[in-house]
Amino acid sequence: MPQVFRPRANTIARLVLLAIVLLPAAGVALACTLVRSDYITRVGMAVNQPVPFSHQHHVAGLGLDCRYCHTGVENSAFAGVPPTHTCMTCHSQVWTNADILAPVRQSLAKDQPLRWNRVHNLPNYVYFDHSVHIAKGVGCTTCHGQIDQMPLTAKSASLQMQWCLDCHRDPAPNLRPKNEIFATDWNPPMDERRKQGHELLKAYGVDPSKLTDCSVCHR
Amino acid sequence: MSPLRRPITPEAGPSGGCGGAACGCHADLETPAPARGWQSLDDWQRLSEGGPAPVRRPEFPAIIREGPVSRRTALKLMAAASALATAACSPRPQNEIVPYVNMPERVVPGTDLLFATALTLGGYAQPILGQTWEGRPTKVEPNPDHPFGGGGSDPFRQASVLTLYDPDRSRSLLHDGDIASWNSFIRVVSQKVATFESNDGEGLRILTGALTSPSLIDQIGALLRKYPRARWHQWESLGETNAAAGAALAFGRSLRAVPHFDKALRIVSLDADFLGPGPHQVAFASGFSEGRRARRDSRELTRLHVAEPTLTITGANADHRLALRRADIASLARALAQEFGAPAATTAIVPSARDWARDWARRAAADLRDAPGRALVVVGEGQPAEVHALAHWINGRIGAFGGPVTFIEQNAPTGAPIAGLAADMKAGHVDTLLMLDCNPAYDAPAELDFANALRNIPFSVHYGIYVDETAAHSHWHVPGLHPFETWTDARTLDGTATIAQPLITPLYDGKSGFEILGALFGGYGNIANADRLAVQAHWRSFGPPEAIASQGAFDLWWRKALRDGFVAGSAFPTITPPEPRFPPTAPAMPAAAGRVELCFLPDPSVYDGRFSNNAWLQELPKPVSKQVWGNAALISKADAQRLGVGDGDIVRLSRGSVFLDAQAMIAPGQAEGSIGLHLGYGRSNAGEIGSRIGANASLLRTSDALWSAADIAVKKTGAKQPLLTTQSHHSMEGRDIVRSHTLEDFQELARATPEHEREAPATLYPDDPLHPKRPDGSTKPDYAWAMVIDESTCIGCNACVIACQAENNVPVVGPEEIERGREMHWLRVDAYYDGAPDNPDVMFQPVPCMHCEKAPCEPVCPVEASVHDHEGLNVQVYNRCIGTRFCQANCPYKVRRFNFFGYGNGQEYANLGEPMLEAVHNPDVTVRARGVMEKCTYCVQRISRARRTAEKEGREVAEGEVVTACQSACPTQAIQFGDMARHDSAVSSLKREPHGYDLLAELGTRPRTSYLGRVRSSGPALGPGDTREAG
Repeated sequence: MPQVFRPRANTIARLVLLAIVLLPAAGVALACTLVRSDYITRVGMAVNQPVPFSHQHHVAGLGLDCRYCHTGVENSAFAGVPPTHTCMTCHSQVWTNADILAPVRQSLAKDQPLRWNRVHNLPNYVYFDHSVHIAKGVGCTTCHGQIDQMPLTAKSASLQMQWCLDCHRDPAPNLRPKNEIFATDWNPPMDERRKQGHELLKAYGVDPSKLTDCSVCHR
Repeated sequence: MSPLRRPITPEAGPSGGCGGAACGCHADLETPAPARGWQSLDDWQRLSEGGPAPVRRPEFPAIIREGPVSRRTALKLMAAASALATAACSPRPQNEIVPYVNMPERVVPGTDLLFATALTLGGYAQPILGQTWEGRPTKVEPNPDHPFGGGGSDPFRQASVLTLYDPDRSRSLLHDGDIASWNSFIRVVSQKVATFESNDGEGLRILTGALTSPSLIDQIGALLRKYPRARWHQWESLGETNAAAGAALAFGRSLRAVPHFDKALRIVSLDADFLGPGPHQVAFASGFSEGRRARRDSRELTRLHVAEPTLTITGANADHRLALRRADIASLARALAQEFGAPAATTAIVPSARDWARDWARRAAADLRDAPGRALVVVGEGQPAEVHALAHWINGRIGAFGGPVTFIEQNAPTGAPIAGLAADMKAGHVDTLLMLDCNPAYDAPAELDFANALRNIPFSVHYGIYVDETAAHSHWHVPGLHPFETWTDARTLDGTATIAQPLITPLYDGKSGFEILGALFGGYGNIANADRLAVQAHWRSFGPPEAIASQGAFDLWWRKALRDGFVAGSAFPTITPPEPRFPPTAPAMPAAAGRVELCFLPDPSVYDGRFSNNAWLQELPKPVSKQVWGNAALISKADAQRLGVGDGDIVRLSRGSVFLDAQAMIAPGQAEGSIGLHLGYGRSNAGEIGSRIGANASLLRTSDALWSAADIAVKKTGAKQPLLTTQSHHSMEGRDIVRSHTLEDFQELARATPEHEREAPATLYPDDPLHPKRPDGSTKPDYAWAMVIDESTCIGCNACVIACQAENNVPVVGPEEIERGREMHWLRVDAYYDGAPDNPDVMFQPVPCMHCEKAPCEPVCPVEASVHDHEGLNVQVYNRCIGTRFCQANCPYKVRRFNFFGYGNGQEYANLGEPMLEAVHNPDVTVRARGVMEKCTYCVQRISRARRTAEKEGREVAEGEVVTACQSACPTQAIQFGDMARHDSAVSSLKREPHGYDLLAELGTRPRTSYLGRVRSSGPALGPGDTREAG
């Protein structure tokens, strides 16, 4: 009777055994990497918009303050996207015939709002409040990155819970003095930020031990 | 036994349980202690007779239901579904941000705005503040500045936002059931107008509900002046005609009595459910509670005597209640009048020699005499004019005028009764009938046969927000505007006017009532802001002096009136009434042998049927019976035994040739020989939610028996349906749940315990570090949120339940799920009974989450979805929850609710697949998904908001800054919330009250929610028949 299994079968069996151990592990590793990857979090990927609005041009180029358009940022959970009238304060005078601004002019003429595509999207069970972060010394670029260098707007942070918690556990290095909050060029070295941050924690009355309570963000 | 745990044992036994004249003297020795704290008749049986333990509904009924799908098929389908789901993977959906084109002034996206306005009920203004988010109303708050009934809310006001977004609302104009245009309607109307202009409006009739709107009345008056032969009729299903007739009988003038319950120390209510559903509920309840709030230094408490046929929440709050047929209350009123020297010749004796009724009257009279100038007799609308006049006469004798009751002149024009209209319709005298915001085809007296009479009319127009029964029988239907979409005005009972402003632009193509009337004037009726212009025009001409002085002054006045939510100084002047006359005795109605009385009751959930299509209200457990999704013939235990009827049996109620099949429910406290039936059910055209639920009581309701019919024959049909009640859901298994004290006991307790300290019982729960050492070593204490609920002032009205539902996006589950023992209300109001079922003592207890400091739900959660935060909140993290339901099983208070299905979104009763209903959600609260546990959060979103505001301003959260939804809605301020870590906060001082206690304190859970035991001042015992002695 010939052998049922040739010697090669040993190798196959060993490989299969190895695969049983390794493949799930590799699968899990892949899933973990994938879920943190820019492909899933969309970091650095610009979103199509009805008007290719450039923060680079308006902020770095023209020097507009963030609050000129995002008026709710100091009072509301939602920073706010400007109404068409805000765009038209300037664009009724400059670039009045530019093709790329046609949707803005139509919005005003037809009284139909512009429909922007969301760049920063949080799950529905997360409640983020812009105003309290601004009041406690977290600057715009801390989360939104070098927005003044973005011709098209993209996320610069994953906005995953791990990323939120990194700062909520140790906010000190990310706190700025009041007058630097809307600055786009605030970037002192790390040890200085940490040293200053501990003083700012006291000044702002921030207690990091309570910032990780579930009810701070979820309700 | 600590003084707090002192048992309350009535001195006399239940009247039904012991016979013989010797009962009173051997009561202490031989009659068993009456059952205490029972929740259902089975409970009572067990407690009083030692019967077998009732079979309780399992806490977690089986989830798997038998169905046509076998296990194999299910597996195949699952495999196919997951394969397809993977195949259908697509990029994540792109969300949009849609800014304004031109942002309105004061709007900040992401924050809310409050507008003072008013809803109406029965024509009367219901003052509110409407909360809107970027123009989207989501919640109603009380308007505390309003002088009449501003300090609280009721279920109808709270549920109004759901009606606004109801997908069943009428969306287009209909002609004979087909969609038509406003222009085609106007064309027909203008032809009619041409005819009316030549014949002075011959054949033109307008039918409205009760109205207090000065502008609308003004406009109808102008129309009647233009067309002198036109007529205005009024029909309000739950109107106040008997009260008006009674005042006319007593004073010879049409006066309106305005009771002030805060000024009354002794109150006798003859069939008046003044705490129950109705337009004045909030004002009356908040006044009444003023004298019922037992605090350490309380010397006296308001005492309430109630005689009524069905146990209402007023009866449930009574210190001495008498269950009496509605027809017998007139005799009782005469007996009461006799105590104050009424001529004996004119008073009949209480029938059937019921000595206890006499005793009740004697005690009530003694109490009334006891507090001269601070005593009050009130009579319900279900009583004839004579009884109302008798009450005025007694009130005159006890010096109530000017104190607990004041009078205003009732001189606003009103329409003619509906009976004349129906007669004219049958006789063919009516050519055009315009019905504004009323539904006579459903709720008009049955003998008028209004729906059929509508066929005789050449041109009938129905105007309303639903295509209801009347719309189905009319030629034209014009979609109406929800009160949140239109300008109007209305008055509260005292006359204070509110200018109601819209909170949102009309969702559909609705018209305002002013536009419809405008069309009859010959206008095109399509003027922008016709409603606002009409209201402004009225107040510019007839407003207070500062409004009519000049246009500039008017604009200022107008803004202030809108901001305040009422017109300052617009209350009617109170007048001194003439000496009330003693009314002639009306002939007694002969009681036919073998017949019972049927009482028609306003429904605490759907009122007269106008809220039928509101799923929140349909699923709101009625305060006493806890029935949901339907009504039932409420029948006394004795009658049920006589007829052999049990809970859920279908009985046939016949009156002459008309009959009605209704589900029976054995109701504690129901008078023998009387059956109670709530109005507002059995509707055919209410909408997807409200149609074909319950029995239509108005089929048996006629003009001569608007409130009770004495000639009802009852027969068991043999059919049976399960009764949908939540009374036995979430039982805490008869532990020491509710506590009751007499005033004397309470005062003794207060002396004995100068500073009430609750001892913390030993516990095996881990020592949860609630306040860990702070890293910076500072000693600033964290907030410690806590709640105190006062059982003395809770009247059981359910306003808190709906307020919680609106605030926290609590879904409805539908009748099928209720039958399985499921519901989602985060806050429930439990009812407990003491004593015999024929006239028990009732206690209400609202039960939200206790936020235990040592919470049993936390150690059992495998994923730490149930955890504490630093401020003592027991939070539920929805995104962590995997739905094991261990926490629910381990919660001794039964306050956790599980989403077995996608109740919040996608289920049949949740949104009917309509995206519109998502608009009602509070944007600050997560809409929970299927498979997630949820529970009361102490309105964590409101706490968080206050904390963030305070932190932005660099200060602490102030006392009173956080108001939970239930607390804000409570008309009696029975719920207090605040920071327990502050010694001077309201909750801290309430927790130090002598009658404070924790629920199931012996478990060692250290609940943050605590209770104040009920304190009642019942007066001395009177006789053996008195079943309501708390001694």
